[in-house]
Amino acid sequence: MTQSEPRLERFSAAERVTHWLVALSFLYAALTGLALWSPRLYWLAAVFGGGPTVRGWHPWAGVLFAAVFATMFRAWRRQMRLDADDRLWLRRAHRYAVHDEQGLPEAGRFNAGQKVLFWAQAAAAILLLSTGVVLWWPEVMPRAWRLAAILLHPAAAVFSIAGVILHIYMGTAAVPRAFRGMIQGWVTPKWAASHHPKWRRQIRGR
Amino acid sequence: MSSTQLKAISATPAPAPGAGRQTHSVAKLIDTTTCIGCKACEVACQEWNNQPFTMGGFEGTYQTLPGLTPNFWNLIKFNETDQDGQLLWLMAKYQCMHCVDPGCLRACPAPGAIVQYANGIVDFNADHCIGCGYCMTGCPFDVPKLHPQTKKVHKCTLCSDRVSVGLEPACIKACPTNCLSFGTREDLLAKAAARVEALKLEGKAAAGIYNPPGVGGTHVVYVLAHADHPENYGLPEDPKIPWTVALWKGPLKWLGNLVFLGGILGAFFHYVRYGPKREREDDAE
Repeated sequence: MTQSEPRLERFSAAERVTHWLVALSFLYAALTGLALWSPRLYWLAAVFGGGPTVRGWHPWAGVLFAAVFATMFRAWRRQMRLDADDRLWLRRAHRYAVHDEQGLPEAGRFNAGQKVLFWAQAAAAILLLSTGVVLWWPEVMPRAWRLAAILLHPAAAVFSIAGVILHIYMGTAAVPRAFRGMIQGWVTPKWAASHHPKWRRQIRGR
Repeated sequence: MSSTQLKAISATPAPAPGAGRQTHSVAKLIDTTTCIGCKACEVACQEWNNQPFTMGGFEGTYQTLPGLTPNFWNLIKFNETDQDGQLLWLMAKYQCMHCVDPGCLRACPAPGAIVQYANGIVDFNADHCIGCGYCMTGCPFDVPKLHPQTKKVHKCTLCSDRVSVGLEPACIKACPTNCLSFGTREDLLAKAAARVEALKLEGKAAAGIYNPPGVGGTHVVYVLAHADHPENYGLPEDPKIPWTVALWKGPLKWLGNLVFLGGILGAFFHYVRYGPKREREDDAE
């Protein structure tokens, strides 16, 4: 039955590979970072090979994350621009949350929530990378920079992880079959018309 | 030292076994007015702790190295300053201050890597250290140093190994002028106060004790002839636990935990209350 379902390409293979490299490097950096965030989560360090191993690899995961995020950023930044519809969508986002979508502008390939997440994660990534580099080599970095980084790095991480918790929920449980769009790359026309009607119209007949 | 009770343990929410226990805390008193800059303390420290010496560059002063290193925990700072047209040549032994409220211990994310014994000594455990260097940022005295090869942080232990078996620290043992003394903190603060009184009688009006309150006081205490300007000795003027470290380890941590928990529970109960998004019945516009 599933084989007979019509398919629309939601994300190209390149987009999917990039997205999952971003996701996996983020997940590793986040979980190892959480080990150092709170003593009650230090057991995560053991899961990933112990404290010194985590301290050694966490920055490299961060560098990989920044590099693949930059690739993703280049590919999507134009599509992520917010238009008038998006701004109206954001003002009425509470309706989206309670599935009462009357009066909610139709979403394009990305809805306004996804776009805001994109820009928020980009800002957090810049902050995480710049403060992370400072924390990486404490012996050579100026003290004033280290003092700022030791506060800003975890602050940016909290912000970023909060966004990712929401993103994972939306991409799995909250919007059924959205996950298949990102992992296998396709959705049904009905799914597209339901969640991204403007995008559905744009690609109709293609 | 397992023979010594612990008062505080890094990255450990549970109270340390020795917390709240009444013991005499120890201290080192450095009377800079009788230091002759002989560096016997530097040598004794290197010897006792079996440290290799690495040469530094010549800086044009008597000072052995520009600063502390992972292998050099005890440095006499030689400072020349001009005060009221008079040259002051000041010497002050510099090492870990063994703060009552240690910024290194607060900043450390690795459980047990930094401990504070009930007697007040702050000690690093290399086997628990992960080499992140946060202690270097938490310390207002720029004392802990990351070893480039071992990726562990090192500093003066106040000879915790000697003290736990009833010996005084190696530097104290070696001092030929008795400018260094070791004992209970109470006794030494009294001794320091008496010395300051004597100096004032000698006409040194600015004499005073360096026992900075910003870190809760220290277990290494100085008598300074010019206590109004500790920076002239190479000592920080008003050392404090950095507010960014305190903010991170306090309010930010609570806020962050609330955000994580709230996010996960919020998503879960959103699903319970509203369920998933549904698709339209048809593919119409």
